[in-house]
Amino acid sequence: MKQLSASRFYKGMNLTAFTLVMIFLYIPILILVIFSFNDAKIITGWKGFTLKYYVQLWGNQSIKEAFRNTMLIAGLSTLVSTVLGVLTALGLQNKKFSGRKLVSALIYVPLVMPDILMGVSLALLFNFTRVNTGMFTVLIAHITFCISYTVIVINSRLEGFDYSLVEAAMDLGAKPAVIFWKIKFPLMLPGIIAAALLAFTLSIDDFIITFFTSGRGFDTLPIYVEGTIRRGTITTINSLSTLMIAFTLFLVVITKRVRKAMISAL
Amino acid sequence: MTRENKQDWSRQNDLVKKADSRRNLASWALSAPALFWLIVFFLVPYLIVVIYSFLTPDIYDVKFEFSLDAYRQAFNSAYLNTFLQSFKLAFLTTLLCLLFGFPVAYFIARAKDKTKNALLVFIIIPFWTNLIIRIFSWRIFLAYNGVLNDVLMNIGLISQPLEIMRTDLAVMLVMVYVYLPYMILPLYSVLEKLDFTLLHAAMDLGANDVKAFFHITLPLSVEGIFAGSLLVFIPSLGAYLIPQLVGNQKTLYLGQVITYKIKNIPRNWPMASALSLTLLLFVALLLFLGYMLYKHQKSRRIA
Repeated sequence: MKQLSASRFYKGMNLTAFTLVMIFLYIPILILVIFSFNDAKIITGWKGFTLKYYVQLWGNQSIKEAFRNTMLIAGLSTLVSTVLGVLTALGLQNKKFSGRKLVSALIYVPLVMPDILMGVSLALLFNFTRVNTGMFTVLIAHITFCISYTVIVINSRLEGFDYSLVEAAMDLGAKPAVIFWKIKFPLMLPGIIAAALLAFTLSIDDFIITFFTSGRGFDTLPIYVEGTIRRGTITTINSLSTLMIAFTLFLVVITKRVRKAMISAL
Repeated sequence: MTRENKQDWSRQNDLVKKADSRRNLASWALSAPALFWLIVFFLVPYLIVVIYSFLTPDIYDVKFEFSLDAYRQAFNSAYLNTFLQSFKLAFLTTLLCLLFGFPVAYFIARAKDKTKNALLVFIIIPFWTNLIIRIFSWRIFLAYNGVLNDVLMNIGLISQPLEIMRTDLAVMLVMVYVYLPYMILPLYSVLEKLDFTLLHAAMDLGANDVKAFFHITLPLSVEGIFAGSLLVFIPSLGAYLIPQLVGNQKTLYLGQVITYKIKNIPRNWPMASALSLTLLLFVALLLFLGYMLYKHQKSRRIA
């Protein structure tokens, strides 16, 4: 009996820890959301409900441009890195592939390096080759850091692949293209969606690598937000942030499929 | 075996070999685009970092003159202190994440299957929320005239606002906040597979909770602890945004110093390169140690 009560004590402790961590994780975000509706110029006490910062947001041209840039870069880098991810994962399916170790090493090493190192090295590459920094260089950088993630996520999905289906189709005389589009691709699709989603989020989220590879005049949202915080004009940032959080919540809550993909992507 | 059979067998063997080499070629072709991309945009840039670290700085650029100054300066006391600060921050962040993350991961792992996924989503939402927004929300929370001080003063706990923003404490707090999910998720995936009947057996045999924890739960979750610690420690070493936005300029961390050397004028790209390479070396060493420990652990388990 004594042990049972001790167990309960530990369970209680874990529950307490969980609750505290939840409060820790969500309080700042909640406050941010609440204060985006606060009718005050600076962050002091509650001054009444307003939507004016959302209206200001709508009229802000540089935010609109940063948003367009972010979506463009995220969309293109997701597309390229997912296609490269599918191809590479298919290549790695062959266990006797003589380049397996080399390819795996090049895929895994970028993941375990601090982001700042990729930022510095790409900045120096673009300086050395005298390439003008801007949209093009940011796009290259984003594709570079997304590839590792897409390959790994898609590859992990292919690990549990049921090859008896492919063999059955081959025995029945199906052509390779048919086998790919009718069997392999549909089975890979959840992995591809998870990979694309991860790449998209990583791209939208990235600050440091973009910071090193974007020139003046090409801002993504994180770069714009950081600059605004530094300059101290933060009122619209609250409302902008709230919208971005709402976007994440929308993705997580609305679709079960996306939620599953998000969990499996990690 | 007859002669004919043998011939047949060797012909088949040839066919298999041919098919193998064709598949090998296909694999090379399929991985070629990513391989090419990573060589050009991941490996080559590091070579340029190595070259730049031996050059002479210029105000806006570099001069192509050989110099060892960058390395000489990197091991000078001011920079050693920066390294030390970054290590301290990364170490404490990892430790605190482990301390808070473990009970949370354990709690989720032992929840009912239905609640499990819901609880995981709660951990993952902040993870998928923009980093800069999460940092920014702490600025609002901790600011001198921010919400925390407001609440504490209204309750009457303090009479003067606390100055938490722009301190090392704030950096620490936000670091733990940002990296906690990176610790919880690998811990969870290990604890989820843990066979809890072992724990019950141990307790039936008279072990108490503490004993059972240290003799069963902890050793069996070592892999998750490794993975989580590396996932937290390594990016923490190069942190820039968090110390930049909630820290002060008195304590500079490695990520900040490297960034200033590249972005601020006068630029010192050789210095940034030398510091980056030193960081790279530390990370490589750490990963190697982690790998050795992992192998050791694995061989011990098989034995």
